[in-house]
Amino acid sequence: MSDSLTVLVTGASGFVGTEVTARLTAAGHTVLPLTHRTTDLVRNNGRKVTAGRGTITPVTGDITRPGLGLDDEARRLVARADRIVHCAAVTDFGLPDERYETINVAGTRHVLDLALAHRTPLVHVSTAYVCGERDGVAREDELDVGQHPGNGYEKSKLTAETMVRKAAADGLPVAVVRPSIVTGASRTGHARDRKTIYPVLRVLTRGLVRTVPGHYDALLDLVPVDRVADLVTGAATRFDEAEGHTLHAVGHVLTLRDFSDVLAEYPSFQVPRFVPPTAFSADALTDRERPYYRRVIALYETYFRRRVHFDDTQAAAFVRRPPATGARPYLRRLLDDCLATGYLGPAPTTDRPDGSTHR
Amino acid sequence: MILTEDQLQNLLDKSLAELPRGTEWAVTLEGSIAEGFGNPSSDIDFLLVARSEDDLPTMPSLLFVDGRRVEIRTRSVRQLADQFRAVEDGAKRPGRLSEDLLNRCQRFLHSHPLRGHALVEEVKALLPVERFREITADWWAHRARQSLRHALALLCLGETDEAVDWTRSGLVQTVKSWAARVGETYLEPKWLSLQLDRAARADVRDRYWLLEATAPAPGDTGAAHEYLTAALAFAAQLGLTGVPQQPERITVERVNGVTTWQTGDRVHVVRARREVFALGDDAGTVWRSLVLGRPLPQALAASAATGVTEPGALLATFLRYGLIRLAWKGGGTITPSLPLAAPPGPVTPPPSTARPLLSVRGAAVGGPRAVDLMPLPADRFAAAAMGLVWANVVVENAVEDLTGALQRGQWRVAELTTRRAVHAALRGLFSAYGVNPLPADSDLVRRLDLLPAATGRPIGEGAGTLLRRTVDAPERGDALLADLRSFIGLVRGAVGADSFPLSFESADTWRATLELGYDWLRIGAHLDAELPIEEARDLLASNGAQPHRTPAP
Repeated sequence: MSDSLTVLVTGASGFVGTEVTARLTAAGHTVLPLTHRTTDLVRNNGRKVTAGRGTITPVTGDITRPGLGLDDEARRLVARADRIVHCAAVTDFGLPDERYETINVAGTRHVLDLALAHRTPLVHVSTAYVCGERDGVAREDELDVGQHPGNGYEKSKLTAETMVRKAAADGLPVAVVRPSIVTGASRTGHARDRKTIYPVLRVLTRGLVRTVPGHYDALLDLVPVDRVADLVTGAATRFDEAEGHTLHAVGHVLTLRDFSDVLAEYPSFQVPRFVPPTAFSADALTDRERPYYRRVIALYETYFRRRVHFDDTQAAAFVRRPPATGARPYLRRLLDDCLATGYLGPAPTTDRPDGSTHR
Repeated sequence: MILTEDQLQNLLDKSLAELPRGTEWAVTLEGSIAEGFGNPSSDIDFLLVARSEDDLPTMPSLLFVDGRRVEIRTRSVRQLADQFRAVEDGAKRPGRLSEDLLNRCQRFLHSHPLRGHALVEEVKALLPVERFREITADWWAHRARQSLRHALALLCLGETDEAVDWTRSGLVQTVKSWAARVGETYLEPKWLSLQLDRAARADVRDRYWLLEATAPAPGDTGAAHEYLTAALAFAAQLGLTGVPQQPERITVERVNGVTTWQTGDRVHVVRARREVFALGDDAGTVWRSLVLGRPLPQALAASAATGVTEPGALLATFLRYGLIRLAWKGGGTITPSLPLAAPPGPVTPPPSTARPLLSVRGAAVGGPRAVDLMPLPADRFAAAAMGLVWANVVVENAVEDLTGALQRGQWRVAELTTRRAVHAALRGLFSAYGVNPLPADSDLVRRLDLLPAATGRPIGEGAGTLLRRTVDAPERGDALLADLRSFIGLVRGAVGADSFPLSFESADTWRATLELGYDWLRIGAHLDAELPIEEARDLLASNGAQPHRTPAP
């Protein structure tokens, strides 16, 4: 096809990256999926990504190295790319600062260098939570407003997006997509990658931590992975319209009260008691609870305090699709999927404090 | 027919003579006599059909002609056409097709024309009788499946006798489905014996009556199992599909509006956001073992693994009360109904008579296997529980304040603080009995008449005395404090130590009380219940710190 694009996708084996790769090839574009190791790309539904109407030419590389660690052949391939979609990032919480610096900050630096070298249009996948710890409305055109990042991850993503903005100011064509908390598919609730909210749900529903600091009216925005992938893909393929914009890829807004009420619908789940952060003391937790609190809940508790709403005016105008509706039914689909796959359910006799699965 | 054409025409003439003249009616005889059943005491059912678009009344006119009861109904052609169309439209969802609608169509299609034959036949042709047989057969088959699946579930849960009864219902429904397919579409099961005789399949008839007459001994699980197996085999022989004897195809599913809230060790289950069930320890353990979406045998095994005996009986209770539902994989919710009866829906047991009803740790229950319905609406239940927690906090706080006031010789302050403590203790007492909203403070002592006299009278006397007490010297102050403590002890004794857990006794008991407070706030928020007062939230928010006191180290 005449308008077929060649797109380099970093983080192509990740939760969002795979779905973006699948959509691009299905639409007839040539995808250069960049992965650390040559490996099959597996979609969220468990199926391998196969070339659709377009082709897939895997590229092995490492974003933590200058030039993405590409060999000569790969470098020649990448130089011909019409777009770069930068999905690669570490999204786990509680890692040493160097990890965020190496992957999220330096990785973005290396991607920017590559894009600048050929003035290749870049779609940068950031996070809505660059807004940091604050209440109220976070707008798409805001970036650094003196906010306090909630954790090392947010800080690194803020730094990376700031670098992208600077490159844009220097003339690089850029579009930024900011997903909120990326969770399971809209229709099935299924997620193959259970990070972010998932370990929290695991620890809480098993009653491993029963008291959690948080406000019942705190807001969590859960966005289905398909909505994020659609928006990122759209930004790459309709770049002329997306260029210069920041698009909030947001989904279902849920309060902690919603979480509490929906969790209560499951007889086997423990429902945590959320207590005002000022009244909470980790020392008052039982000896059994404390390690789970420190290793899982403490990493995420900043999200239980924020009453932030993400304005998505620009994204809504761009996607031409109605906003997500039915937040509680969506949460039920996520939980049902976790139960069906055994991720959630009665606690095994020995549990790991990090909430990881036994495999 | 048991009446001749002449007899019928004669009855019709006499009946019509009693009705206003004017409309040109076609007339047809419906019901058991037209079907070829009936006996001398059977009603005569005439349907008058008008070629019009009007809505004619559904209510019949009742006449007594020649010693027979005659019912006369009227329908317009448009109404009859609408009925047929509704049956066709509903045929794909037999679970939603109403028995009444099906019955009206059946009666008309099998009626015997007496006047205006052409019009009656013209309307009958709107729904070919072969199609109607299919629809009715599917309708009965759907009901048979529900009953037999329900029987399978009950057998799995060990509810043997109930399973036998539902098997028997499934048998009737199965044979009615078979009979409908061979042309016997009359809905009422009361003429089933005549229908089976007419169907001219002695083998089916005899097998059915043999099974119908089989009565497994009460409580005999093996016999009940054999009975169900035989019924399912017979059903399969008659062409009923969708009921393999595989209980693993039954799953335990969520019911909308049912939520679980635990305070302390007590599990409370809210139904439809309106009613609260308090579960005894064993019932709570089995409830907590339920993982929704799992096959019933797995759910049963998980509940058995908790160590609670006969968990199936508890699961059956949850099912009966509509706290869970069962579904058939690929077949939706299992909704059993007896032949020609509506699905029974969730059972509501008599409300709990436990007194007092509440402690800060949860509702009182009748025993470890209890699934007790609280005698007050869910939101007021939660409000009463929060009122109790709050009263607890205020009592302790007032006693502390009284101690401080006495130390400084602030006699008036001491008197007021005493009254505050007495009122709070009474509010706690009322809350423990489920009284909500509470009477005004000034009315609390008088309204002790709401409580059992043995409790209310001594507490009322003690409260009355304390509320009138004055202080003007240290020794009277000390006596007041001692009497107040003794009064609080009296209230504690009446409602149980769990209702007043002596929050300030240690940091641990205080924290435990606060945690229970948060637990009740959680359920209260879910039910949009009234908080005792906004200060309650503040106090919980500040972890019990009192603005005018130095926090305890």
